[in-house]
Amino acid sequence: MVPLSNYLVLSAIIFSLGAYGVLARRNAVLILFGVELMLNAVSLNFVAFAAYLDPDKITGAIFAVFVIIVAAAEVALALAIIIRLFRNRATANVDEVATLKW
Amino acid sequence: MGAEQAWLLAAIPAGMFLVLALFGRYLPRKGDYLGVLAIGTSFVLFFFVLHDFLHAGGHAAILTSIDWSDVGNFHLRQGIYVDPITIVMLGVVTSVGLMVNIFSVGYMEGEARYYWFFAVLQLFVGSMLMLVLADNLLLVYMCWELMGLCSFLLIGFYWEKRSATEAAKKSFITTRIGDVGLLIGIILLWKATGTFNIQDIIHQAQAGQIGHTYLFVSVMFVFLGCMGKSAQIPFHVWLPDAMEGPTPVSALIHAATMVVAGVYLCARLLPLFEIADGAMLVVTIVGLVTAVLTGFMAIAQTDIKKVLAYSTIGQLGFMFVALGCGRPDVAMFHLMAHAFFKSLLFLGSGSVIHATHHNQEMDKLGGLWKKMPITGTTFLAGSLALAGVIPFAGFWSKDEILHATETWSGGWVFLLLSFAAILTAFYTTRLFIRTFMGQHMDDEVYEHTHESGFTMTFPLIFLGILSCIAGFVVWHGVGTALGFPGGITEFVYLHEPERYHFEWALLGASVLIFGIGIFSAAWLYWGNSTEKSTKLAEWNPGLYQLLVHNFYFDDLYQAVIDRGLLGFSYVVAWFDRYVVNDTGIDGSAQFTGYSGFIMKYLQSGRVPNYAMGMALGIVGLAIAGLVVRG
Repeated sequence: MVPLSNYLVLSAIIFSLGAYGVLARRNAVLILFGVELMLNAVSLNFVAFAAYLDPDKITGAIFAVFVIIVAAAEVALALAIIIRLFRNRATANVDEVATLKW
Repeated sequence: MGAEQAWLLAAIPAGMFLVLALFGRYLPRKGDYLGVLAIGTSFVLFFFVLHDFLHAGGHAAILTSIDWSDVGNFHLRQGIYVDPITIVMLGVVTSVGLMVNIFSVGYMEGEARYYWFFAVLQLFVGSMLMLVLADNLLLVYMCWELMGLCSFLLIGFYWEKRSATEAAKKSFITTRIGDVGLLIGIILLWKATGTFNIQDIIHQAQAGQIGHTYLFVSVMFVFLGCMGKSAQIPFHVWLPDAMEGPTPVSALIHAATMVVAGVYLCARLLPLFEIADGAMLVVTIVGLVTAVLTGFMAIAQTDIKKVLAYSTIGQLGFMFVALGCGRPDVAMFHLMAHAFFKSLLFLGSGSVIHATHHNQEMDKLGGLWKKMPITGTTFLAGSLALAGVIPFAGFWSKDEILHATETWSGGWVFLLLSFAAILTAFYTTRLFIRTFMGQHMDDEVYEHTHESGFTMTFPLIFLGILSCIAGFVVWHGVGTALGFPGGITEFVYLHEPERYHFEWALLGASVLIFGIGIFSAAWLYWGNSTEKSTKLAEWNPGLYQLLVHNFYFDDLYQAVIDRGLLGFSYVVAWFDRYVVNDTGIDGSAQFTGYSGFIMKYLQSGRVPNYAMGMALGIVGLAIAGLVVRG
């Protein structure tokens, strides 16, 4: 059986990649990709912990399903915003849409 | 109807208040006849109560009560308590209230807010009736405050006049100081006995269940309320100013409601005063000081109503002396006699004021008897009663009070009170001569004067007859003939009924008292000449100024308020303005606004910056968590 630590290391790597994408990228679509990666890393953690700590129940799996559903909704909303942004400003670069401040 | 339903006496006028206040302005004649009808009904019902009470034995109290509130360990029964004191008060309040109402129909004719005047008059009488019927201190206090409200509304009836609103405010605040004392006293008594019921409290006190010092302190607080309501020195300042109200209101306040409530409550709780060592002495001294000082104050007044106002305070002082001597019967007797002749005098002065188009300065009156025969004659009857001339009402009651002072050895109470009685006779004679006799001072005023209409002269005649004959109820035979056995001193009593004895020595003293007072005043003012009195004033101007300014009581209070109270208020206002408001409230808002103004430049508008902030924040929190956990 694959030890728990393997899952956790994989999850940490995916999370870090996602975080890097969110912080370093300037393209709104790629930032969204980063967010999705982070969410999936967390879902992986849920499932792994659930399988190792309490194998009889599927609590972690249910949580993962919830996360996937919420993520799907979020992607739909975020992509809609990005499309509107692109239609209006002809760009998806987040640095160029910094006018909503003081 | 029996005495158990005596609460109807209070309920009918109180209910009529609602009717008149809500619908009075739409009724024909603004509903004044409804007011007269309501109090008239109470007056008629009073005789049923009296009959039933005498039928039941005439001394034992009649009680009925209902459960009012029952929360946990707290049980409150509200009810009525009818004993001889209550009966006397009911008779006085309903009869004087009815006469004042009838008089007002003529006096207030054509005034603005006519219906409102009658509405508040009903509430005033109703709350006074409920007060004398109440069997517990809580109900007493409620009615007490209701009367304070009514007097405020009626004294300030002409609220377009600044002096009227000031007087209303003054009376409310001055009596309020006493009322707080009363409330503290009631709470103290409740804490000691666990009940508001007056008779239960008295029984417990008589059984020695309340400590002496504790009882003395709580009784003194209650007496503070009595002093405020009955305008005893040093709370007397509100009553002369209360003359700003319409004159029928003055008659009501001075005779039937309001000021006599203090005397009533003191009489009702007199057993407590007796048990508390020294309380009786305090009551006597307060009454005595008031009677003498207000006698002096009344001498120098030139306003008819103000003379009467100071005389009321003085007569209330007489009643308190009687109470201090342990004679509630005598106090009640004087209260009744005083109610009749003082309401007569006020209504008479109202008739004069009405006839002379609101002139109440004696310097412009004089010689009115020829013009106003009915008012003049009835006013004379009232004046003789007030001066204590035999056989008018005031003679018998004042005699009895002087007689009662023998409780205090040494005769100092008797001598001082006799002196106050001389002053009373003096200023009463002066008032009558300067208003009704001799030459007239102002031709124009004199020419326009005319006798008042029937609605105003009828109450005068009724009360005039009572002022002549009411004193005879002290006699055993008269009292029995009128239906209640044995004269007023055997009807109302504290421990043992006392048979009235006529004493020639006391009669001689009384004749001397009113003789000195009347003849010195007549010598000074006969023919309404102020020549001699002006000389007297010039002989000692300092003393004259002292009297004209009423011993500077008002100035003293004004100085205390200006210096002390206002000075303190300035400090508090400064603290509120600069510390609480500017620094605390405005300051915190300005700080938030200004810091927001500065910090907004931290916003770059770039998404990665925010994301970096979030990431660093989470890392920072994680490190902090690790450090804290150790």
